[in-house]
Amino acid sequence: MTRTPILPYIIAIFMVVLFMAPLVVAAMTSLKSPSELTQVLHLPTELYFENYVRAWQQMGRTFINSLLITGPAVLFSILVGTMAAYPLAYMRGRGGKLVYFLLLTGMLVPFQIVQIPLFLIIRWLGLYDTIPGMWLVHTAYAVPFCTFFMRNFFATVPQSMYEAALIDGCSKFGFLWRLLIPASTAGLSALAIIQSRYIWNDLLFAITLTNSDQARPATAAIAGFASGLQVEYGPLMAATLISVVPVMLAFLLFQKAFVRGLLGGAGK
Amino acid sequence: MGHWIYLIVPICLYLMFFVVPIVWTFWLSLHSWNGISRDMKWVGGGNFMTLFLQPRFHHAVVNNIAWLIFYLLAPSGLGLLLAVILDRGIRFEGFFRIVFFLPFTVPAVAVAAIWRWMYEPTNGLITTVLNTVGLGGWAQNWLGDPNIVTFSLMGSVLWWTTGFAFLVFFAGLRNIPVECIEAAQIEGATPWQIFWRVTFPLLWPSTIIVLGLAAIDAMRVFDIIWATTMGGPAYASEVMATQMYEIAFGRLEMGRASAIAVYLLVIAGVLIMPYITYMSRRVADSEDS
Repeated sequence: MTRTPILPYIIAIFMVVLFMAPLVVAAMTSLKSPSELTQVLHLPTELYFENYVRAWQQMGRTFINSLLITGPAVLFSILVGTMAAYPLAYMRGRGGKLVYFLLLTGMLVPFQIVQIPLFLIIRWLGLYDTIPGMWLVHTAYAVPFCTFFMRNFFATVPQSMYEAALIDGCSKFGFLWRLLIPASTAGLSALAIIQSRYIWNDLLFAITLTNSDQARPATAAIAGFASGLQVEYGPLMAATLISVVPVMLAFLLFQKAFVRGLLGGAGK
Repeated sequence: MGHWIYLIVPICLYLMFFVVPIVWTFWLSLHSWNGISRDMKWVGGGNFMTLFLQPRFHHAVVNNIAWLIFYLLAPSGLGLLLAVILDRGIRFEGFFRIVFFLPFTVPAVAVAAIWRWMYEPTNGLITTVLNTVGLGGWAQNWLGDPNIVTFSLMGSVLWWTTGFAFLVFFAGLRNIPVECIEAAQIEGATPWQIFWRVTFPLLWPSTIIVLGLAAIDAMRVFDIIWATTMGGPAYASEVMATQMYEIAFGRLEMGRASAIAVYLLVIAGVLIMPYITYMSRRVADSEDS
């Protein structure tokens, strides 16, 4: 492009202001003392870190819980999705298509539908208000999407590679672990980021299946003190920003891999 | 040994966490039960009939449909616009890309907390800005007025989800061969024609992903409403999912709540099943070719 029209810049900059304003205001509010809080447009006269101290006292434990839930749950869900996608990508015949179709159907289920029985099942398993219970649930409900995503990604790996590997004496298991997974790192990392966001940000399963600081993730804690009668916006904004950091950081660090993974998986 | 044994774990999880609970929900929806007591009373289609005649339930269904229309049009449209702008070789593209995508990474509860502060009727940013530019008369009780609360929530969701549509479209635009566009330019097509006749049709794979996931999200919308207004004021911003939660865990009417769940599943099924069928067939086609 040689000529650069001015209109795209105007729109883009206008949108940057709109997109950043809420985050900037939240950051400013989190650093203001209670007396300055109502001056939304003013910068804080002094940095008031007391909000962060109080937020951490209230939600620190749940933040750790969120990390303990999200890390393993992301790994498990990707592993199970990959395991399901591999045979479905290379299996011929009606059986494979039918299973794939049934698994995909799970994507249309609004999770609220299973909420009541799920609560009863998890209590019956003795996993109510435990971190492993959250791993199990997040892994199970990720099966349709992860299978769909990895199945789509595997479809971009040439079929000839599979056939050649089998002729060379590579076993079907060896092909998955030694060739297919290493060839799919872009897809796997994109899926890892999507899953981290889903699991870290989840509120529904959190409020249904946990009720104490033993397993409650940060999202449930924030929802709890945001809905109190006397909302203190200083500490609330501080807690909010703390909860935003991990996923935002992951996206910023891996955004190149994320875009590449989307191109491979969705752009086909 | 075939590699199909890898399917055992996913299928077991699917049976245990999708099939069993859904059948169970159907069963519960035919009863009256408080979730604790031993006796469940069979009421047949009673719960469905009660809901069918209840204005509170109608209101939630209408809200769900409004959310569906919103999800399909607003974040997708704005995301497409932003992607097209950035794709035309703008400077600082990397910076713009990060900014547009950033809100998507924020958890729903954080979006709710931030926007409750934005919408705060006396000191919130929106009211303050309107007052500063002399449009104070336009200020509303954004989340307290039953007539506009859903629109206010949609505003915060637009901020939140546009980034995803934007990024998928952006990736899709990068996948379109430059030759196609150049050929159209040589033929003398205007930029407007090029977009609608060449770019947009070639962008179809991205469009189908964005719209499909938007429809699924619209049926699932819960977190943001629950964390911002809990369905209030006076049930005005309720959707089926939040109403179900309130009836199940607030009033302990598990049967009635399950009936809402069944309605929700049926509506989601009717709306989204064609999409799922299309997606599973599309993959099969690409294999055969």
